[in-house]
Amino acid sequence: MEHSTGFGLLSLVTFLPLIGAILLMFVPQEFSKLVKYLAFGVAAATFAASLVVVSRFEGQTYHLQMMETMPWIPALGIQYKLGIDGISVWLVALTTFLTLISVWFSFYVEKRIKTYMVMMLMLESAMLGVFLAQDMILFYTFFEASLIPMALLIYIWGGENRNYAAVKFFIYTFAGSIFMLLGMIVLHNLHLSATGVSTFDMVAIQDSVATGTLWKGAMQLQPWIFWSFAVAFMIKCPMFPFHTWLPDAHVEAPTAGSVILAGVLLKMGTYGFLRFCLPLFPDVIRAQVVWIMALAVVGILYGALVAAVQPDVKKLVAYSSVAHMGFVMFGIFSLTHDGLVGGAYQQLSHGISTGALFLLIGLIYERRHTRLFKDFGGLKAQMPIYAAIFLIIMLSSVGLPGLNGFVGEFLAMLGGFQASFAGAFGLNVWFAVLAGFGVILAAVYLLIMFMRMFYGPNENPENRRLRDLKPWEIAMAGSLVLFAVWGGLYPNTFLKPMEASLGAVRMMALNPVGARPSYADLGMEIDSKGNLVQVEPRKRDGELGQFTTIREIAPANFHFPYPKDDDERVAAR
Amino acid sequence: MGYGAIWLVIGLPLLGFLVQALLGKFVIDRLGAKRGKWTMGLLAVAPIAIAFAIGAMLTANLASLPADQRHFVLTLYIWITLQSLSIPFEVVIDPLSLTMVLIITGIGALIHLYATGYMAEDKDYPRFFCYLNLFIACMLVLVLGNNLALLFIGWEGVGLCSYLLIGFWYKDLANAKAANKAFIVNRIGDWGLTLGMFMLVCVLAGASGSLTNGGDNRWLSYDVILPNAIALLKDNPGIATAIALLIFVGACGKSAQFPLYLWLPDAMAGPTPVSALIHAATMVTAGVFLLNRLHVLFELSPVASAIVACVGAFTALFAALVAFGQTDIKKVLAYSTVSQLGFMFIACGAGGYWAGMFHVTTHAFFKALLFLGSGAVIYAMAHNQDLRNYGNLKKYLPITCWTMFIGFLAIAGIPGLSGFFSKEAILGHALAGTFAEWDGIRLGYVAGWVGLFVAALTAMYMTRMTWLTFFGGKEQWRSIPAAAHDHHDDHSHHAQHAEHEGHGPDVHGFFYTEEEITRNRDMEDHGHHHELDASHTPKEVPPSMWIPLVALAVLSLGGGFLLYNGGLFEKWLYPTGLALLPPGQVQAHPHDIPLVGLSIGAALLGLLAGYAVYRKGLPGKEGWDMAKWNPFRREALVQFGYDHAMVEAADEGGGALARGLWRFDSGVIDGIVNAVGGLTKGLGDLFRMLQTGYVRAYALLMLLGGIGLLGWFLYAMNRVGAGGHG
Repeated sequence: MEHSTGFGLLSLVTFLPLIGAILLMFVPQEFSKLVKYLAFGVAAATFAASLVVVSRFEGQTYHLQMMETMPWIPALGIQYKLGIDGISVWLVALTTFLTLISVWFSFYVEKRIKTYMVMMLMLESAMLGVFLAQDMILFYTFFEASLIPMALLIYIWGGENRNYAAVKFFIYTFAGSIFMLLGMIVLHNLHLSATGVSTFDMVAIQDSVATGTLWKGAMQLQPWIFWSFAVAFMIKCPMFPFHTWLPDAHVEAPTAGSVILAGVLLKMGTYGFLRFCLPLFPDVIRAQVVWIMALAVVGILYGALVAAVQPDVKKLVAYSSVAHMGFVMFGIFSLTHDGLVGGAYQQLSHGISTGALFLLIGLIYERRHTRLFKDFGGLKAQMPIYAAIFLIIMLSSVGLPGLNGFVGEFLAMLGGFQASFAGAFGLNVWFAVLAGFGVILAAVYLLIMFMRMFYGPNENPENRRLRDLKPWEIAMAGSLVLFAVWGGLYPNTFLKPMEASLGAVRMMALNPVGARPSYADLGMEIDSKGNLVQVEPRKRDGELGQFTTIREIAPANFHFPYPKDDDERVAAR
Repeated sequence: MGYGAIWLVIGLPLLGFLVQALLGKFVIDRLGAKRGKWTMGLLAVAPIAIAFAIGAMLTANLASLPADQRHFVLTLYIWITLQSLSIPFEVVIDPLSLTMVLIITGIGALIHLYATGYMAEDKDYPRFFCYLNLFIACMLVLVLGNNLALLFIGWEGVGLCSYLLIGFWYKDLANAKAANKAFIVNRIGDWGLTLGMFMLVCVLAGASGSLTNGGDNRWLSYDVILPNAIALLKDNPGIATAIALLIFVGACGKSAQFPLYLWLPDAMAGPTPVSALIHAATMVTAGVFLLNRLHVLFELSPVASAIVACVGAFTALFAALVAFGQTDIKKVLAYSTVSQLGFMFIACGAGGYWAGMFHVTTHAFFKALLFLGSGAVIYAMAHNQDLRNYGNLKKYLPITCWTMFIGFLAIAGIPGLSGFFSKEAILGHALAGTFAEWDGIRLGYVAGWVGLFVAALTAMYMTRMTWLTFFGGKEQWRSIPAAAHDHHDDHSHHAQHAEHEGHGPDVHGFFYTEEEITRNRDMEDHGHHHELDASHTPKEVPPSMWIPLVALAVLSLGGGFLLYNGGLFEKWLYPTGLALLPPGQVQAHPHDIPLVGLSIGAALLGLLAGYAVYRKGLPGKEGWDMAKWNPFRREALVQFGYDHAMVEAADEGGGALARGLWRFDSGVIDGIVNAVGGLTKGLGDLFRMLQTGYVRAYALLMLLGGIGLLGWFLYAMNRVGAGGHG
């Protein structure tokens, strides 16, 4: 058992919102202004703390950083263990940023504002815990804990059909995660029987997977456990055909709830795939790729087509999330370096652009109390600034080069194409060709959306009285535009810190025993006084091999599109 | 001047865009409409003009170097870097890119100047120039970028500007629909282009380690693709053809080739300067530019080249036929653009890449001239675009008439004018080349003959347009039938009173009060169009509009000869010939006597035939009474039903599919979910004596089920463990 490190920065980030929520409980309900400012202050402080985490983050290594380990339930091998790596670092920042924006928007909320803000902050703590927990039970706890405030946000502050939507959201995701819990227990037991150590520590379990001890003798369980995790995350993503809770939840949720739901909660699914499904099942993952990829492609096309005929703006964006998350999965499960990075980047882009779309829809909903296309039209003349911001965000969602949506989509598609073209994992080139149609369809439904809201004559008399956005609303939405442009023009800011971890995850999934990276291989140990000391790692980062693209994953019988003797011929030239 | 000045060429229009976007409204509010617009107009034209001057100096610098040294790559920063891929923000300075820079900024500056006059009455003046400057910046990124990803930024960027400008007058929903159509059809092309890019990455990355220039993973950079393509793809014609054709799909979208041309005619909904700049002179030629840039890939694949030539020839013919049925002056020019773009692809397909670029250049001169001229006519005719209302305008618009007449002669291919030389070069390559073939059939040669026929058609339909507009003696608008009135967006809905149908008091200040609404309405300028009627007297356009016309007329007149003379243009673009094809395979002498004779003959034949029919103005059977039209013309008017079929298929078919899927989604997929939920609820009812709340009931069942499954897993694992140890 490792030594206790005490609480650190990550704990601070995780629990700051919760502490704020507890503080808020002592503020009387009548001081609604105070409640709002206090909640905003807490969210801002959390955002600032997360920026400190980002600034201290070391992007060169795939290892978990800023680890905090403490015993929690030693009898069951459960620890309190937090850590951060390239997979989670931007998701943490995204969470704190979007929560800040959501709390800011929620200044419009009047009904039971104190409870509302408490829920928002509790939700933030739970989400951050999901991305930082490095013990499976701790992860599971946060994963489930995030359901409750979200379901209540829908249930109390939602629209007409909120009861149904909240229950459906809760039950559906809860049902999925039961399977995940099962998988965790099985992993624990396998680890116990293989090494004699009872632990839910993800580092230890990944290490024994990397060294091949965990699955030795239990090979036939591996696909089952893979799918027990995968189902939980497919529901969360959500992937076709497990997506139907999403439109209902979005339509009923209050604006801030939708922003968080689309921006962060869905990422828990893809994050789970990266954290669990890729590193822990190296012997069977290749055989599962084709199924997940097929569902991703179906989701891309299906989500886009269904989105195109929605009468409600919010539902349209909800279905577009199905398509966009399909692209994320398409990139990740191409298991190419480009694809993985692209998929991970697309998570962030989707968080920004879809979060912003829900925010903008919320701004008009606050004014007009409707989201139906038939009530809008010609808003561009009435609200030019709103229209301009909406246009940029819409284009980012379309994947226009120069904005953030393009980078992730392009890299994910590139990775997917490489794997498909090489015929790796039983894929063929049609997967990429069809996924490409999704890019066309994205333009179809988003442009139709923009046209129906902003173009044409402004005929609805109620819309002819609308004022444009107020300065603080422009600042709020503009900050999202800033990230959309930044992410499109200088994506390296966000790509670089992710890359080492994603590369390592890919090698954990694809490499044979002996060549798999291990999180336990830290090169760091805690000495008897509780200090971290440098020791010689088993394998240095640089020895993990090249991040090559197509050669490595192509099946042995694949003929590269050039003659075999070409290397010599080109060299001779 | 150092080549680093190229960043200014891109940066100035971008700066202009920001100035227009952020300060435009403020300046006009401050200085008043007249002075404010003048200032913003100056701030819009100046960056483009300065960029042109810098571009010209850089071109002079480059031309002074020996031919094999005219290639520079400058890097600003690394856009995307991964371990497996690197995409720098880099520009390439070589004859091809600078040629395009000169066309874009030169023609662009003239059209900006023209637009300051044309748009002077428009309320959204800064918004117009904001889009237009952004367009120039994107177009420059497209042509200057040294890799396909950067080209793609520009490619979609110009598509965006095109979308925004087609829908510039967005209050008319038809314009917005035309804008959507343009963007979406272009996206189909972009789908092909991206897949082509990906395939290139696969080929290059798969051979990493054995590439020239490829050590830093810049798979998409031209200086990595072009030197390695031959070695990698020579023995893989299949892959080469696939890549070439996918890229050609992209070119078809942007350059409006069949079957993707159908966005371009609708794009005429944009203001006329936009049609001249984007939809005639620059953006739509991006596909031809791309084929020139990647000509090595097309040289590797005779099959792909043959397809390029055939698509070009078919498009040229099809669009020329459709042009005969058009009554809207801009639509005639739009189809003529589609047709001329087809000529450029005939050239590229036949291996005459430089001839394609040459036609891009001369076409930019005369088509911009024709569009701006048509804009002047439309401006003078109270925004009426129907040829059937014109006639005898030479009397009222002499400058417009005679400059446009030069453009007409140039596009018709009359010897000595610019269009003659470029068309001649294209047909020369096509008829002499043996390169573009499929299965032994010389499709490039066939395309050449089709091109010759289309040249005659071109002369004829352009004669029709010119005579109906300027000559013929009959002033048609004097006898306008009532049905001919254009419908302008009327201001009647302003009268509607906005009722705030209360959602309680407006606590957040979301809405204007009654007084503010009244005040706003007064401030709106009612730029009142007057209708074209019998008493209308057309007036010549202001100098800001006719100066560009004269400049372009001069270029159309002499530009072709200057560039063609002594092979100047060809040697500038391709000083050492092509990469693979020997000159003999693609080119006989373009001005062989029989060819010159044929092509002059075609032009004159078309011209005379047109003159014979239209010399007296609008013939009775082409007038307002469509029943008198001959069936060919009626069909040509609606593009022989092609557009309707495609739009119908996408709208109705796609809509039906999507609605069907939606029903499937809520009925079947969600139905199953709800059924499972209902089942659980039913079971939960059985447990009602134990549990009351739904959620808890579900949770209990889930827990039971979970425990059951867990038990099974533990059991199974024990067996496994036992087996393992035993």
